[in-house]
Amino acid sequence: MSVRKNLIPLGVFVALAYGLPLALAGNRYLAFVCGMTLINVLLACGMNLLYGYTGLMPLMFAGIAGISAYVSVRLSEAGLSFWLAMPLGALAASSLGVLLGLPSLRLKGFYFTLCSLVIQSVITLGFIYFSGFTNGDTGIAQIPLPSLPGGISLAGPPYELMLATFASLGIALLIALVGSSFGQRLVAIREDDGLAEALGIDVTRQKLGAFFIGSLFAGLGGAVYAPYLGFVSPRSFDVLVSLNIWLMVAFGGRGTIWGPVVGAALLTPVPFLLQDYYTIKDVVYGLLIIGVIVALPSGLAGALKLSPRPGASKVAMRARPEKAS
Amino acid sequence: MHAERRGLPIALAALILGAGIAAARAEEPIKIGFTTEQTGAWSFFGASCVAGLKLALPQVNAAGKRPIDFVILDNQTQPAQAAAGSRNLDVQSKVLALSGPTSSDTSLAVYGYAEQNKVPFVVPVAAFPQLTKPGSRYTFRLEPDAAGWGYAIAKFVESRKPGAKLALIYSDYALMRAITAGLKYQAPKSGLKIETDIAFPQGANDATVQAAQVVAAAPDYVIVIGAGGFDMTITNQLLDLGIKTDQIIHPFGITTQVKNWGKRSAGSFYGTFFDSNLANLTPEGKKFVADFTAQNNRPPSYIENYCYVTAQIIRQVLDANPAAADDREKFRDAMSKLNTKESTSGIPIVFDKNGARKEYIFFMQIKDVDEKGYQASQVFYTEWDPEVIPVYELVK
Amino acid sequence: MSNAHTIILMSMLSSGLMLGVIFSLVASGVTIIYGSIWMPNAANGQFFLLGALLTWTMTVQFGLPPAAGALLVIGLSVAFSYLLEILLIRRFYDVPNRNISYFVLSLGLTQISAGLLSITYGVWSDQFQVPPLVRGVTFIGPFPLANTRLAAFAIAIVLLALLFALLRFHKYGRALRAVFQNREAAALRGVDVRAVYRLSFVLGNGVVFAGGILFAYAYSFDLSAAWTMAITAFAIMIIGGPGSVLGALVVGLVFGFTQAIVSTFASPTIAAFSYLGAMLIILLFKPSGLFAR
Repeated sequence: MSVRKNLIPLGVFVALAYGLPLALAGNRYLAFVCGMTLINVLLACGMNLLYGYTGLMPLMFAGIAGISAYVSVRLSEAGLSFWLAMPLGALAASSLGVLLGLPSLRLKGFYFTLCSLVIQSVITLGFIYFSGFTNGDTGIAQIPLPSLPGGISLAGPPYELMLATFASLGIALLIALVGSSFGQRLVAIREDDGLAEALGIDVTRQKLGAFFIGSLFAGLGGAVYAPYLGFVSPRSFDVLVSLNIWLMVAFGGRGTIWGPVVGAALLTPVPFLLQDYYTIKDVVYGLLIIGVIVALPSGLAGALKLSPRPGASKVAMRARPEKAS
Repeated sequence: MHAERRGLPIALAALILGAGIAAARAEEPIKIGFTTEQTGAWSFFGASCVAGLKLALPQVNAAGKRPIDFVILDNQTQPAQAAAGSRNLDVQSKVLALSGPTSSDTSLAVYGYAEQNKVPFVVPVAAFPQLTKPGSRYTFRLEPDAAGWGYAIAKFVESRKPGAKLALIYSDYALMRAITAGLKYQAPKSGLKIETDIAFPQGANDATVQAAQVVAAAPDYVIVIGAGGFDMTITNQLLDLGIKTDQIIHPFGITTQVKNWGKRSAGSFYGTFFDSNLANLTPEGKKFVADFTAQNNRPPSYIENYCYVTAQIIRQVLDANPAAADDREKFRDAMSKLNTKESTSGIPIVFDKNGARKEYIFFMQIKDVDEKGYQASQVFYTEWDPEVIPVYELVK
Repeated sequence: MSNAHTIILMSMLSSGLMLGVIFSLVASGVTIIYGSIWMPNAANGQFFLLGALLTWTMTVQFGLPPAAGALLVIGLSVAFSYLLEILLIRRFYDVPNRNISYFVLSLGLTQISAGLLSITYGVWSDQFQVPPLVRGVTFIGPFPLANTRLAAFAIAIVLLALLFALLRFHKYGRALRAVFQNREAAALRGVDVRAVYRLSFVLGNGVVFAGGILFAYAYSFDLSAAWTMAITAFAIMIIGGPGSVLGALVVGLVFGFTQAIVSTFASPTIAAFSYLGAMLIILLFKPSGLFAR
């Protein structure tokens, strides 16, 4: 997949990402919805790398974001600058994630999903149990917004612009990864990892790499989410959150760069805008999920014929029959 | 003469117009944001709160007064949605104040928003101590804090049996941790001994083994604080294994709990802040009980009462300080000076410098339970100042 | 052995067995469906909870006697499963890699169910208790056992035995095993694959509902029971081996006992960690499960 093809959409995205929060700066609520969307775009990119391009459905994604959030919040409280705490938190989370996920990377398909479900349950239980570190069920409230190294506070629109920067960088990174030979190897693994192994690809090592990078996305997302909302608790990072992010990728169209971005942009505002319709909100969401899976198995991108044909990877053998997604 | 007659209709018109404008402005409702749990794990408590609130509205919005519009928003029992909802109510609906959450974590999320954005926040239900930690300026909590609750249990047991042995058995949730923290602090000071301390993870189903352990420890009293249906299960399993009903103390008992404990639990104790069986219900309290029961098929407990009372004290503050209706700071100041009583039970409402209320609790003993409701008698009452124990240190 | 110790031992047995058979029932239902149509049913927790809630509706809201109420709930579950199968499930029978699609589908169903329950039962009460199946208490030595739990346990054992017999000896069971092993070959041998699929879905769900009904009689519950049971059921299915009812039975009992045993000497939270840990170990070293076919 050519990097060049994506430059124009990237430009459009950057314009929107920076432009919308500025346009909405007067209305802090809509700006907030915008900011949450940007965080979800970042998270969806990480999930897309793992699910869309490597074929792994990691349900512990939110747990990893949570570990990063808690670590960076505690480091900030201890006096460390947010700009150090955030990458440290993300690294800690990715390392822990790789450690926890390492044994499970040998598993394929649905077994990996189940394993990740168990790991997520362990993480959530851990968040509640190790209340000395996480403050347990009560959560940590009044998390302060960071300031730039010069001392300028990031409250208000500047924070959204920071989120826009992260989201844009995240997408750019994804584009670069996918276009590289690393990305092609991942797609080969997604299509048929037995074949990939036979072709000389060290499947476990590639999966590990994808896992680490995907977890970094999750970790960064978690670290910027905490000060923005001002509050974290175990429930902010449970399996339902992982499923939500996964849904954005599946809904938008996995295996495409922009499908998940559109998915995040469309699905994030839904719970906020439906706050008045609380009686039917969950039902609508459930129907949406069912609708997508029944009618649009390749997501929106697939429906709009934007999804690459399965098996189109250069590394996969041309003789292999097409697989349904 | 001629000029006078021409001047009169104009003056009259001006008067009517002026009165009309004044009336229009006076009629613009005062908005209070009410973000509560209408879906999610605490949907029952949010719905109960709204039911209590609604019962207060006819009186609160009686003719002739500037109406108060309670803008109700669902927070899905999710702190993230509670924070977003607060922002929505603040920015979009431009509410004067926030209120509504019943769960500790959602109320903490709203608290963070309220304090940061200087929005008065009147918490009807939600007992977590940190809601009024030192430095809180905009938050006012009606329900006594959970650590104090634990303190009060110790006082209650001390009054019945000095030197008693206690067994604690509870679910690992924020509320339970806070209650047990207060109890564990006060117990040695009250001469009580905690023999057994068992915490269940969230999602536990069966307590038979733990019940057996409690029985083996032969305590005088068992303090049971389960979550949801599990509370029932623990209670039943304790009773199955031979614990006597009057050995069981529940820190809180709302109507559905008491009805589920059933006839089997006659003799057990529970704590409450308002109950249809209180010894000294005011006439309005009795009417509240009757009306609520008629509308909702069950007698109200303290959740419904607090939401009812919250609406009333907001009205009271606004009536006494009309300037506060459009100014958050003035509303906040007026609320902090409030000195009144709960209309349903006569208990005083006074807030300290952090917005915490002078605290109190009733302990009831179940006498009988049937389909319609239940009878209980009030056996203990105590009051205390929130900082009689180092409440903000015990639970973070 | 002192009385107190006997009581603790008996309580371990009682708790382990009671939880164990309910876990086994629900896990059996889930594993049958996964084994036959390859559908990991994430909504199994919701169905379990529905079984319990509907039992409450029948006995507390409508005042029906327990047996009639339970039968009515099972009847409703059969109708409900048929409807689901016709509307949604059968669309995917011929889709390869349908397990992920089914998983997502079941997540959508979970969401819808949770939403509906939240504004109905979730508003009526925060906790639910049904009247006992049989009143009174039986003494086994010094250990008192509530009769309603004893009855629920007995019924669960009978159901599990019937299920086992059905799958091992009845021609449906043979057909199911044939389809599970190789669907094309089974079709060639004259098995009506689609009928087997439909029956499996209805049977599997029915068993899950039955687990919910018995749970309601043995314990009190609230809406949070759904998700905890869903994860436990998956854990048991994976460890026992997808498609293996024997595996579900054995591992279900082990899970029930693990909670009971570990809780005697460690906090109940450690017990929860321990069985999650066991599941991880199995997934990593013998992913096809202990009793794989």
